[in-house]
Formats: sequence, C-alpha cells, structure tokens
Amino acid sequence: MTHFMIELDKLQSVLVKIGTLAVGQVAESVKALLFEPIQGKEVRKIELKIDKLDVKIDEICQSIFALQQPVASDLRFIMSSLQISNEIERIGDLSMSIIKRSKSIKEKHDLIAKFEIADFTKEVESIVRKTNECLVSKDEKAISEILLLNKTIKANGDLIIDKIIEEMKSHSKVVVSGTNLVIALKHLERITDHCSNVAEYVYFVVNAKIIKHDKYEDLNLDKIEE
Amino acid sequence: MRDIKIHVNDLSLYYGDKQALNSITMQIPANKVTALIGPSGCGKSTFLRCINRMNDLIPSVKITGEMLVEGIDIYDKNVDVVNIRKKIGMVFQKSNPFPKSIYENVAYGPRINGLNDKAQLDEIVETSLRQAAIWDEFKDRLDDSALGLSGGQQQRLCIARTLAVSPDIILMDEPASALDPISTSKIEELVHQLKEQYTIIIVTHNMQQAARTSDHTAFFYMGELIEMGKTNAIFTKPEKKQTEDYITGRFG
Repeated sequence: MTHFMIELDKLQSVLVKIGTLAVGQVAESVKALLFEPIQGKEVRKIELKIDKLDVKIDEICQSIFALQQPVASDLRFIMSSLQISNEIERIGDLSMSIIKRSKSIKEKHDLIAKFEIADFTKEVESIVRKTNECLVSKDEKAISEILLLNKTIKANGDLIIDKIIEEMKSHSKVVVSGTNLVIALKHLERITDHCSNVAEYVYFVVNAKIIKHDKYEDLNLDKIEE
Repeated sequence: MRDIKIHVNDLSLYYGDKQALNSITMQIPANKVTALIGPSGCGKSTFLRCINRMNDLIPSVKITGEMLVEGIDIYDKNVDVVNIRKKIGMVFQKSNPFPKSIYENVAYGPRINGLNDKAQLDEIVETSLRQAAIWDEFKDRLDDSALGLSGGQQQRLCIARTLAVSPDIILMDEPASALDPISTSKIEELVHQLKEQYTIIIVTHNMQQAARTSDHTAFFYMGELIEMGKTNAIFTKPEKKQTEDYITGRFG
C-alpha cells in the first residue's frame, strides 16, 4: 500500500469516526427531548471531539492536496470529505442546541405524547445511522433511501409543527414550550437535511455527478418506491 | 473536419517482429495542446515520432495504417519527408542547441532552407525569440554561444529554433523533464501561448504537467490508445478503469 493510499484510508476512518460521534450526539439529543434533561458535560465533550475531528479532516485534506495532487475519484473523495465533515459538525451543533432547548419545554411529556414526537425522532435517528453506514458502503440504494427519507421526515415534521401551532393558538399556556418544541423539531429537520447533503456528496464520490441542486424525482438513481 | 489537424486511422508500428503500436485511431484537434500520457514503454513517444516520420530513421520499423495531416497521408510514397519535418517541428527531452551562437541557432533552419537575406533572417530570429518569450533575455547577447545558456534557456532556444521554420505542428517529447520548476513553468506558459498559432502534441510523464498544459489527453498502455478525451474529463472522471488506475497512481 502506498503512502497516499494510507492517507486516504486514514481520512476515511476519521470520517466514519466523526459520523459515529454524530450518531451518538443525535441519540443524546433525542433522549433529552423525549425524557429528562441530561448532563451537558458529557455531550459537550463529544461535541469537542467532533470539532477536533472536523479540523483533523481539514488538515488531512490540505496535506493531501498539497503533497499528492489527487485526481479523479481520489480528488472527488477528498473534496467531498471536506464538505461531509462540515455537514457532520453541523449535526453535532444542532444536537447540542436541541439538548439546551429541551430544558425549556415544561409541558414536554404531554406535548411529546400528544403529537407522537417519539415516532418522528425514531425516523431522524434512523436517517443519521443510515448516513453513517452510507459513508462506508457508498451504496446507491442507501443514498436513494436517505434522500427519500429526508423528504418524508420533513413532511412529517411540518405536519407536527402545524398541529403544535394550532395547539398554541387555543391554549396560550403552552406557547413557550410549544415554541421551543417547534424549534427543536426544526433542528431535527435540519439534521436530516445535513444527512441528505452527505448522501449527495457520497453520490458525487461514486458517480462524479453533482446532484445537490437536483430534485429527487429527476435523479437517475436506483429509486426506492415512495 | 476543419478543426481536426491530424487524423490517425488504424495505425500500427512494428520494430521488427515486435508490435509497439496497435491499431491507433485518434483525431488531434488544431490549435490545441494534446498530451500523451502512459507508463514507460507504452508507445507514446513512438507514436509522437510517427507524426513527423522520425521512426523512418530506424531500419527495422514497419508502419501500417494512415497518418493524415490536414488530409494528406504523410506515409504516402510521394510525400517529401523533409517538407513534413519542416511543417512538424520537434522539441526533445534534452535540449540540443547547436554549438553556435544564439542567433545562428535560430537562423539555422531558415538558412538551410535557402534564406540568406540578413534583414529577413534578423526578423525571423527576433520573431521566433519573441514567440518563445526569450527575446528580452537574449536580445543583447545574440552572438553568445548557446552552449553557455542554462538548461531552461537552452530548451526555450530550441523551441525558438523550431518556430523559425514556421511549422504548423510542434511535437514535444518531455520538454521539461530535466528542468527546474521555474524553467518548467516558463515552458508550460509558453506552450499555452503557442497553441493560438500552433497545434502542439506533448509527451509527458508528469501528470500535473499534462493536466496544466493540455486541452486533450490521450492515455496509452502497451501500445494501445486506451482513452482520449478533454483533459478536464480525463483527470476528473475518466471513462476507463485503466486510465483511472494510472492517473491515481494505482497502476500495476
């Protein structure tokens, strides 16, 4: 194995590592939202780890660009790694925001149960896991599944948010909690957007085609039935 | 097609019994830089030398197929080889100036073609040196020996010498492989400027040089043309796995 291949392997393993940490962060944020507030110390530690790995990925990519002049699939992988680590770092930040926001949702258990938030969060956790797996498998079906799941999750999230707003209109005492819950749900929606972006970068690595501004319906990929 | 300078049809070359080029078919666009890449012994230099019949000098060589330059088969028995080489200049890996002055090096080609008018020769020397972007460096020392120049200067002088006989096509066989990065960059910049007037075909082992200087790239392997396309496409999304493996250093 050449020195260059070793560097590429290192980059891939750091990507998976940062992805795995993000999966954990999202799980913690869901726990905080659905159940009790959790200790911020531990998750902050993970957030710092994510930030460090994000910088490490930048450094590895910079060094490969400067010293190896990558081309073709290697170039696409390195370009995408920079973007993917950025997306994952944002997932970590949003998870932290959800954890902080959860503390301000007083009537949490009632609202969570009433609007079936647990089912929604399960979908979010699932897309984050699938995204991390996709970083390794680079499987086109998995990419397609993530892009479709993002659409579904966003539609479901918007429906729940509409219902919460209706609830706030008729019961003014839930306005503060409701608003915080809406923001937390929007953060979860953003997390799925980042997952979808990661899937698009993986698609670029595999197929050398930029699809980030294409509609799912127009994409020529192994589609899952909607 | 007007934009195509050279049509190569089913060209094969044999050194005795050994086949070095296998049925090459390609089209080389006019006023563009085409880079030929591939591992050592893949046939890219042999192919380059086919374009101005330099391989004729090797007795055991046999060539089949067609090499059409502006529609004329240069291997046709009625074609004058000297004229071919006048129209298709060549720059080699190692700079090879004559042991003469800078001026005489550039004037040599026009002189042996029968031009003796001093004013005309002066003009050709100046124009050629200007085109090779070395006029300002050399204008006050035209009588100095070319052998006293640095490697990079000698190579650019050789390019000027090639330009002096007004070729249409310039073949370059690893023209910067023995030069330092500054001289290399000057040669590359020169190639970029010259393509407005000339069709340039360059053999290089340096992937980055091929990527930087050329508009089209052809990848050769074991005497075969594996893939040819726009340089941007070859270096970002090659179609053939062999090309991808070669340019990413995974070959073999």
